[in-house]
Amino acid sequence: MSAETIDIPAERQQEILALEAKLKANHFEVLGVTPGASSEQVRDAFHALSRKFHPDRYHGRQLGSFKAKIDTIFKRLVEANNVLTDPDRRQKYLDDNPFVRAAIRSATGTNAAFQPGPAAPKSAEEEARDAERRLRLARHPYLAKVTKIQEHLSKAKAHIAKNEFSHAFSLLNIATQIDPQNVEVKTLLADVRKKNEVQRSETDYKRALEFLNQGNEELALQALRASVNASAANHEAAFKLAALLEKTGGDIKEISSFAQRAVEAAPQKVEYRVLLGRMLEAAGMKSLAKKHFDEALKLGPDHPDVKKHVKKRWPF
Amino acid sequence: MAEREPVIGIDLGTTNSVVAFMQDGTPTVIRNRSSSNLTPSVVALSKTGKLLVGQIAKRQAVINPSDTVYASKRLIGRKFSSPQVQDAIKVLPYGVQAGDHDDIRIAMGEKHYAVPEVAAMVLKELKADAEAFFGQSVRKAVITVPAYFNDGQRQATKDAGRIAGLEVLRIINEPTAAALAYGFGKSVNGKIAVFDLGGGTFDVSVLDVSSGVFDVIATGGDTYLGGEDFDNRIIEWLVFDFAKENGIDLRKDRMALQRLKENAEKAKIELSGSKEAQINLPFIASPAGGGAALHLQRTLTRDKLEELCGDLVAKTISICEQVLIEARVKPSDLKEMVLVGGMTRMPKVVEAVKQFFRRDPCKGVHPDEVVALGAAVQAEALTSSDSEVVLLDVTPQSLGVAVAGGYVRRLIPKNTTVPTSVTEVFNTSKDDQTTVKIMVLQGEAEVAHQNELLGEFILTGLRKARRGEVEIDVTFEINSEGIVSVSAKDRETGLQQSIQVTASGGLTEEELKRILDEQADMLLEARSGEELQGKKSELKALMKEVETLIPQLDKATQGSEFGKDAITKAKSALDAARKAFDAPVLSKVTESIDTLTRTVSLFKGVLERIK
Repeated sequence: MSAETIDIPAERQQEILALEAKLKANHFEVLGVTPGASSEQVRDAFHALSRKFHPDRYHGRQLGSFKAKIDTIFKRLVEANNVLTDPDRRQKYLDDNPFVRAAIRSATGTNAAFQPGPAAPKSAEEEARDAERRLRLARHPYLAKVTKIQEHLSKAKAHIAKNEFSHAFSLLNIATQIDPQNVEVKTLLADVRKKNEVQRSETDYKRALEFLNQGNEELALQALRASVNASAANHEAAFKLAALLEKTGGDIKEISSFAQRAVEAAPQKVEYRVLLGRMLEAAGMKSLAKKHFDEALKLGPDHPDVKKHVKKRWPF
Repeated sequence: MAEREPVIGIDLGTTNSVVAFMQDGTPTVIRNRSSSNLTPSVVALSKTGKLLVGQIAKRQAVINPSDTVYASKRLIGRKFSSPQVQDAIKVLPYGVQAGDHDDIRIAMGEKHYAVPEVAAMVLKELKADAEAFFGQSVRKAVITVPAYFNDGQRQATKDAGRIAGLEVLRIINEPTAAALAYGFGKSVNGKIAVFDLGGGTFDVSVLDVSSGVFDVIATGGDTYLGGEDFDNRIIEWLVFDFAKENGIDLRKDRMALQRLKENAEKAKIELSGSKEAQINLPFIASPAGGGAALHLQRTLTRDKLEELCGDLVAKTISICEQVLIEARVKPSDLKEMVLVGGMTRMPKVVEAVKQFFRRDPCKGVHPDEVVALGAAVQAEALTSSDSEVVLLDVTPQSLGVAVAGGYVRRLIPKNTTVPTSVTEVFNTSKDDQTTVKIMVLQGEAEVAHQNELLGEFILTGLRKARRGEVEIDVTFEINSEGIVSVSAKDRETGLQQSIQVTASGGLTEEELKRILDEQADMLLEARSGEELQGKKSELKALMKEVETLIPQLDKATQGSEFGKDAITKAKSALDAARKAFDAPVLSKVTESIDTLTRTVSLFKGVLERIK
């Protein structure tokens, strides 16, 4: 290092330099969390980093050129934390930075704007088992890759013809594990995965409607959740879930996250916008709420929900 | 290893002050030289010219009211012309005058003192107590202030420390300090709320605590809401009835006022434990035309006290609501609820807090001492390398610049974790504008002149161009010491100007408005919205009610001194309300609603009693 005396252990100096070098990265990377991490995960990471990089940790010490570095680092951490823990600002940040949204999609394979919670990571045990299985399959002398794949493929196609997507999905999954490079399997798998999700989501949605008919709201909620989790595109389920949660006194944040999903999947639906607007308003995010009310009013000025909730609120 | 220099934490309170330090890893209060944990924040100049501080000063207040200064914290860092100070002067027995820059001068004996000088006398006393305890000199301290203190009030407190010969390591917020003391050494993880109702100020903060990291999420409060206001309500009640019976306004007599104050406070404290308190003030006044001396003898019940102060308690709760919204938490998300400050002993306050937060406040913190203990924790964290505590504090009020049209453009919103810095691009507002003036404002008001002016500077030498063509980067920065600095840079030429905000500009609201008006090209235009509309109709109803009540009260009090006084006050409140109604700015309208509500309840109470 230079001639200046700096009262920071050498190891910590290295950490400071390393973090300083990556300050230009996106907010998630600066905090060292996976893109799309939940508000809670972000806050935890921010706290952990504060323990090392808050300027107060170095109060009254000889810092030389490191003083400015620590200040800059901490301000950057604050900025990242502030943006990612505020739903409005996070949304705006993702809107303004499509590449970050893309990073989230590739990291989690889901919609970027609203994370229903930390995506269940595979446990170490499962990971180990997967790896072991892959290895065994690859080593097995009797399982000549190609024939096995072809066998799975033809079975899968038969299932697809009968609209049995979940069977097809698991067969194709095995096939990709045998040979991750096989293009035909990969494309078919992507297609089947989507169809399977939609199908599962539909089934769960129908189940939920039945439960509702029977008046069992608890089971209906469960089924709706499963339906929404299965497919982000099922806006009917997301909306129904949000509405039912509202009726049963659920958490506003949760309700608005489902309403948000519904709106994202079907931006033209007036009643979705109205519900989302109302929830955002209740959560104190007035300007966002107004945006949705305005949109709802534009989309369907005569829609009953608009008449009921929006017009009395916004005297234009 | 050499003995480490002692560092102390000081809670410089409105009524009492406390000093603490870290003893082998435990925050501990240092007793003063009269073996008490609390030192009254009272300073006096005795008749023999001796300077008295603490208990000894408080004890002689009744016989020496005009040279005994208490509650100076309510004045620190404020402008003489501010409404709070003007109101306070009416009930303060000691002399308060205007200085050269609309600052405040306190008269004791022949001399006039700046408020930080008076606060420094209390700090010096605490420093001496600590030195007596350690047997060596003490130079470094962390001092607490109400979270809602603005920059000027913080700077003034820092100045007081400097005058007292202390290096102020950090100014920290009282509720934050309370949370530090509460969470220190415990494995508290989660969100906690601190409700701090002290002698002069009210604060509420929400923190997220996780193994040693204390992250302030939101904070709010009122720097003019505390035990003193409760006392004043009792005084008003006593004075009013006395005036009605005897035609004498006791507030005009300094000694009587001092006795009233002491007894009001005593009765208030007594009512936290019992249902009734006797107020007994013999020989309080002598009638104008001669004759036997008059005595004041009243019974104050707890119910009556709660009625007199109901709106004060309600105000604390509405601030809590606001802060929870800003923190984006529900009462059920909170892990703990900590009560701080002497006023939280009042049963009505506890009940209101319990009802709002839907939980019992946590036991086991000493409401008078916890703030000083927290200051000691932070002092240790700053000076010791092996401390596990990190405090992530926030800026309690928004910072911004004045922009054309008389508005504020906020760069750093309130509740932003410090240190922080923000840069935004601004444009010139007129054709061929070669100079821009950057006025740095602090506060939440929508129109510029209602905020506090922290400082201003000019950036010149801009290129002549059409309006909006020249771009200027304005950067706001708050460093870890809480010092605000602002710089402006011309993007084309790279020319740069900056200031470090060190003291308040000392301008009155009128002056600030005039300066802003001179520079403004457009008229003020307030944002309108449904909230404002709703408040306006509420205000209108209240105005009508007061208007009908005034003649009734006039008749009932039959032109007595007090009646006249009350009516004049009500009329000026009405005038203010009319102005607020015509120039609709939300904050003004809300303020008027508060004043008128109080007037109405006062008048109704009076009429009730007379009937």
